[in-house]
Amino acid sequence: MSAIGQCLAAFLFGSVVGLLVQRSRFCNTAALRDAMLFRTYRNTKALLVCMMILTLGFTAFITVGEGHTMHFDVGVNQVLGLFLFGIGMVLAGACTVSTWVKAGEGNVGAIWALLFTFIGMFLFSLVWSYMYWPPAPASMDHAPHLEALQLGYANAATLQAKTGIPAIFFGLIQFLALYGIYRAILRKEARMTGEREQSAATSTSPASVPATSKPSPAQTPAQQTT
Amino acid sequence: MELFKKTLDPVIALSVIALLDIFLFLVVGAWTVGGGETMMTGLIAKLFMGDQLSRIPFWDIVFKPDATYWKIYISLGMLFGAIVGAVLSKEFYWRVPRHLSEWIMITVGGLLMGIGIRLAFVCNVSTFFGLTPEMNLGGYLSISGIIAGAWVGSMIYKKVLEA
Repeated sequence: MSAIGQCLAAFLFGSVVGLLVQRSRFCNTAALRDAMLFRTYRNTKALLVCMMILTLGFTAFITVGEGHTMHFDVGVNQVLGLFLFGIGMVLAGACTVSTWVKAGEGNVGAIWALLFTFIGMFLFSLVWSYMYWPPAPASMDHAPHLEALQLGYANAATLQAKTGIPAIFFGLIQFLALYGIYRAILRKEARMTGEREQSAATSTSPASVPATSKPSPAQTPAQQTT
Repeated sequence: MELFKKTLDPVIALSVIALLDIFLFLVVGAWTVGGGETMMTGLIAKLFMGDQLSRIPFWDIVFKPDATYWKIYISLGMLFGAIVGAVLSKEFYWRVPRHLSEWIMITVGGLLMGIGIRLAFVCNVSTFFGLTPEMNLGGYLSISGIIAGAWVGSMIYKKVLEA
């Protein structure tokens, strides 16, 4: 595909994503933060369903040698980088998707976060130019280099090549693992709903009304943030 | 139109996005945002610095500024789609953070996101919607990092909320 065709496909994809994320209020930050802080899972469930579909779709096409997988070696820098990113996205209240989407809704804070993401990237480009770590993708050879804290390159395609087992088989295992987490969340939500209903039934007794009619402090910010 | 009158179920929205992401994976590559943002940073820096930028090795070896880099247009598309969605549903209005603490958190958060993306070579989107569904080892490393980071960030956020 020509460079213009790639840019056009990317823009069309991004436009539909921006529209759907804006209309659904999906937020990747909330998917992690709300599950950890407020025990609410609206975004977490959507994230898991998306990952389940993608796992089956990607590994099915990888099985027949189709698709453009991400090609670069990985290592400790992924853990460290995403650790910093994870702190940053919760503090900023938005991830890479929601900064663009919230900016499109007129959120000046999101525009400010984007500006400082760019500044952070430029600052790290200066640091990289001094220490040359993590290694540039062009210099990677897909083999582990422990002295550089690099583990090499491995994905569903390399698993298929090494074991002779179709990539979709490994995809199915990952799908089931994600589905297990999804089911556990549904069970937890059902249990929490049951507890709330039980608590509401108890609160019909006049003596307990004042104590139970207030929302829990932990629930209120979650409702505001979704 | 119903889509612009009430909030869409995120499970439906993300299911549609997953199908589109599979299509994008087939034609050019899975959904990603960090790479496009890095290229935008390079292009903006080039506007200010001109050819001097190529004296910084990162912008000569890793990311040579190129306006035809397809990943840039995913981000611009998301901005465009969000503006369309917000305007048609009458949800577009300027929202400005009111407290100094919010400005500080957003500034520090933005910087950490930028540094984190470049250190890891991936963002949250590549982690959840690209690398991990491809069963790339980097996806699992990134997920461990982002969960630990989100937990630390949540503890800081909780302290700020309580304050």
